[in-house]
Amino acid sequence: MENHLLELRSVDVSYGDAQAVGNFSFYIDKGKIITLVGANGAGKSTILNAISKIIPTSSGEIFFSGMSTAGLKPEDIVKLGICQVPEGRHLFTKLTVLENLELGAYPVHTRPFMKDSIEKAFTLFPILKERINQSSGTLSGGEQQMLAIARALMARPKLLMLDEPSLGLAPKVVSLLFKTIKKLNNDGVTILLVEQNVHQAMEIADYAYVLQTGTCKMDGHCHDLLKNSDFKNTILGIRE
Amino acid sequence: MSYFPSLAVFFQIIINGTFLGTMYGVAAIGLSLIFGCMQVLFIAQGTMMILAAYSVFWLVYFMSIDPLISILIIIPVFLVLGWIMYKGMFQRVSQAGPSSTLLLAFGLMVFMESMMLFIWSPNIRSVKTSYSTSAFQIGDITISVSRLIVTVVAGIATCLVYLFLKKTMTGKAIRGVSEDRVTGMLLGINPNRVSAITFAIGIAMAGVAGVATCLIYPFDPYFGFLFSLKALIAIAFGGLGSVGGALLGGIILGILESLSSYTISPGWADAIAYAAFILVLIFRPQGLLGKAADKV
Repeated sequence: MENHLLELRSVDVSYGDAQAVGNFSFYIDKGKIITLVGANGAGKSTILNAISKIIPTSSGEIFFSGMSTAGLKPEDIVKLGICQVPEGRHLFTKLTVLENLELGAYPVHTRPFMKDSIEKAFTLFPILKERINQSSGTLSGGEQQMLAIARALMARPKLLMLDEPSLGLAPKVVSLLFKTIKKLNNDGVTILLVEQNVHQAMEIADYAYVLQTGTCKMDGHCHDLLKNSDFKNTILGIRE
Repeated sequence: MSYFPSLAVFFQIIINGTFLGTMYGVAAIGLSLIFGCMQVLFIAQGTMMILAAYSVFWLVYFMSIDPLISILIIIPVFLVLGWIMYKGMFQRVSQAGPSSTLLLAFGLMVFMESMMLFIWSPNIRSVKTSYSTSAFQIGDITISVSRLIVTVVAGIATCLVYLFLKKTMTGKAIRGVSEDRVTGMLLGINPNRVSAITFAIGIAMAGVAGVATCLIYPFDPYFGFLFSLKALIAIAFGGLGSVGGALLGGIILGILESLSSYTISPGWADAIAYAAFILVLIFRPQGLLGKAADKV
């Protein structure tokens, strides 16, 4: 039996008494783009943070390449090859563009490739090279998102998790961003994309999970879901 | 300039203030680093300085080690002490929130004061060296050898910390984590390890400032709290979270104190420093140096 790259089995996450995610299962195979869609507060970011071990799960199991991640710390998850670009970018605003990138290669095993990775980041996002010594807080929203993605790529992830990358960006920048995500995927990075921008996310993704109040409401291949009237009413109906 | 009999007197005051202020600055750098990792004012910083001062006192008294050589012992010992303090106490307590951390720091300060009182008595001590009273002249300005040495040592320590924060991966991680701990974790940084290193450096800076203090001032166990306050004022002047700003803030404070004790009276120096502190907080909460000092 072949292992999935990432698999969640009946995961529960609670904040105090409030359950944020209940009995959630899903998997991603290598090379795919999977998207989690749903309204604000549906539990999408919570799932990413549970995978990253920023918040604990109350039950259920998470497997990466067939291995349970129970008991691991956030830094171990990065070493395994799972990197998250958090919602709202979360750059180190007082540090320069270059310093932000360098910290992306903090795990010891990624440091030997640091120079090479920086070159790659500048090829992917040439604008960052022009801003190299600027403090990252002075970048525009689009540039900040590029830097946040480039920083996560510095650790050479097998799985890149993007939390609302299009949030607050101009439509033109958003379509460029989605093209870049697709390109990264073509280069071999598996992607888990959390988005409220459902249409565009579904255009590049292979498979989607629809979340509502912490549980999976439906899932399916993106082209099937887009034809599904139930999906259109519950998700796209609210959005459009 | 009518306040000053001559330009030489004015420069003398500025130089004395700079010497004094460098010491405040070094303590402030430590305080600012520790604030970055715990988001709490480490109220025991000045008391750590006095602990270093007493340690030097013993090294001189029992082993006749020159205070300047003793810096080479104090720095590694205080680094280790800081590491142990973070790992053993603050890492656990800081998870309970900033108010617990502040209380722990306060408790630590009072505990150390009582221990020092017990070990070294409440008598005022001072460290005497062969160069304690020597000085040289540049024109009409007198420069004390021990104060000059202390200032140079403090300057070197500051440069080393600055370079460490600016050039090494650990230093960059310290600056990153002090801004955003969770994001640090998402990049594979162990924030507790980074905080322990930061805390250790902060305590070592208190050690350096303590050696500097004992070369210039007589001290007693309760002297430390005053230095914590002075370091806090230096940070308010220079803006939080920057090495250069903390040092400059300390120097501004030192000059302000020596100017006011000359032009008004020594008794007023502290009151004026605190008044300036409050005014700066009200009108320029980002520090006198504002954004320029924001970088490192």
